[in-house]
Amino acid sequence: MGRIVSSITDGKGFDLLLVGLTMVFLLALAGVPLVYNVVMSFQQVDMFNLSTFSRPFAGFSNYVEVVSQPEFWLIIRNTAIFVFGSIGGQFVFGFALALFFMLKFPFASTIRGLFLVSWVMPGLVVGALWGWILAGDFGVLNAILKGIGLIDNTMFWKSDPSLAIWAVTIANIWLGLAFNMMLLSVGLAGISQDLYEAAELDGANGFQRFSTITLPMMRSTIGAVLALGLIYTLQQFDLFPAITEGGPANSSNVAQYWAWQWSFQLFDFAKGATVSVMMLVFVLFASLVYVWSTRHEVRG
Amino acid sequence: MTAQIELQNVDKHYGTFHALKNIDLAIDKGSFVALVGPSGCGKSTLLRSIAGLESISSGTLKIAGETMNGVPPRKRDVAMVFQSYALYPHMTVERNLSYSLRLKGMSRADAKKKAEEVAKTTGLSELLHRFPRQLSGGQRQRVAMGRAIIRNPKAFLFDEPLSNLDASLRVQMRKEIRSLHDRLGATSVYVTHDQIEAMTMADYVVVMRNGVIEQRGRPLELYDFPANKFVAGFIGSPAMNFIASSIDASGTRLIFDEYSGESIALEQRLEPNRKVIAGIRPEFLRVASEAEANFHIEVGTVESTGSATYISSQDQMVTVVQSERTELKPNDRVGLKVDSARIHLFDAKTEARIVTDAG
Repeated sequence: MGRIVSSITDGKGFDLLLVGLTMVFLLALAGVPLVYNVVMSFQQVDMFNLSTFSRPFAGFSNYVEVVSQPEFWLIIRNTAIFVFGSIGGQFVFGFALALFFMLKFPFASTIRGLFLVSWVMPGLVVGALWGWILAGDFGVLNAILKGIGLIDNTMFWKSDPSLAIWAVTIANIWLGLAFNMMLLSVGLAGISQDLYEAAELDGANGFQRFSTITLPMMRSTIGAVLALGLIYTLQQFDLFPAITEGGPANSSNVAQYWAWQWSFQLFDFAKGATVSVMMLVFVLFASLVYVWSTRHEVRG
Repeated sequence: MTAQIELQNVDKHYGTFHALKNIDLAIDKGSFVALVGPSGCGKSTLLRSIAGLESISSGTLKIAGETMNGVPPRKRDVAMVFQSYALYPHMTVERNLSYSLRLKGMSRADAKKKAEEVAKTTGLSELLHRFPRQLSGGQRQRVAMGRAIIRNPKAFLFDEPLSNLDASLRVQMRKEIRSLHDRLGATSVYVTHDQIEAMTMADYVVVMRNGVIEQRGRPLELYDFPANKFVAGFIGSPAMNFIASSIDASGTRLIFDEYSGESIALEQRLEPNRKVIAGIRPEFLRVASEAEANFHIEVGTVESTGSATYISSQDQMVTVVQSERTELKPNDRVGLKVDSARIHLFDAKTEARIVTDAG
């Protein structure tokens, strides 16, 4: 008994205790629900057997039904637009801002800090704000675009089926911008100024310094940012109920919102689980990329 | 001799801080010039201004006869070896070496051949496919040198390149850098805070303090004829002893005010009663018998490195270096003798050297 106590206060026991707590937490609150969700996608679930675990096995019938829904491919397309549009926009603008704030000018880091506001705000609030900005007749965005002569007619961002998914994507780009900028800024700050000076003396111009020093040195940071971006975008939910509710006619519906609709509006929990298992495969892929791109970080 | 690097009336301000004050300096083609001084004296700023990494506020900077004010670093054709080496961590040694050539548009095969040649002269042939993190400090230093050499630049700029190496490697690299300089017939500017590096490596030494050039000259000139108390104290190790003194009423004897007014005959007459500082190098003081002694100290510490023995006074103002060992112990009173021709005199107020006929 004494040995166990001393091991916990001084030795390996303490390490095992810490790891154990984390493992219990992860298994109970992430592992079990995940497995439960996967199991549910292979079962027949209705309101009567919702409270029991033993339900009729359904094989792949849930998957077949989900894929054969008329809106399935539309939602896949929208999800792709939303995910790649958001990641692309967040990354390009985030990188540009990160580079900009690396320049030495007064209050650079203060102003950069203010950008975190977008990250701190709840998604529903951001959604409401962008809902107003993007509004057709009285929206600020339309007023600006018309003012500078870019468009003549009012753009109905939220109700035009060809624009609705882009409306949510624009809002999400703004929402994720600060996160991208911050991670990329950290990566940029990690590159020694000496390297740029050496490259400059070696004859590299601005573009060459960016492509031969900055980009290769940022490789693991960029990989991590893109992978995390994919994960965060796939779990972005708040903006959809706040801006378009997936409409009009599913034209801005995406997989994560669709899964919620199946489960909590149509109460078909099996289909909701099925859609989220399909997403899980993508997230798993992104996680692998993330782990792979940060594998050097341990060495520092 | 033509000047490869020329600075005329160069000033540099950082906001209100005046980092370089009216610097005039001409560096001959093929010469090895060391910039020395305590940290913050402006030596690195001066070097970085030559490289173009800092812009000068006023004055003219010429490299190989061309005015370089406002020319970006990549067009100045100078190579720099950084204190941190600044090797590109994501490139192999070969690509580190050939980076500048590839930027100029040299083909991969030609650049590789050049890199191999330079690797041979710097002893890196076995390491071409390693990354910088897989190299020792000395090897990284060589890569940094090789990266400079491969470009065949108009001038080599060194910014304290040896300060991250251990003592024995530093001595070895000192010789290697100097012999490389001679072999390439290069023009080198070498910044260091270590006066021994400056003395052993350079043809000319420029001593700086607070953004001003205090003195320039060949290493032994600075040692033998320091222009002022600062240079006298900076050049030479251990540092020169300074004793507040005065000239007697007849103008023929130097009185050590701090050592109970003991005195020594001067080589020649000086203005009577003038307040001066006597500078005596530790290696020109020796322990002497009562009959020979010029002045006396109370021994504070005795340190020996085996080859040299350092005897310091209790007030830490006077140090004697001798190659013989000693029986002296702390608190012993000991007489010291100095050849009056070896005494440097500085004005007590201006600290400038008092020029005598003897030099």
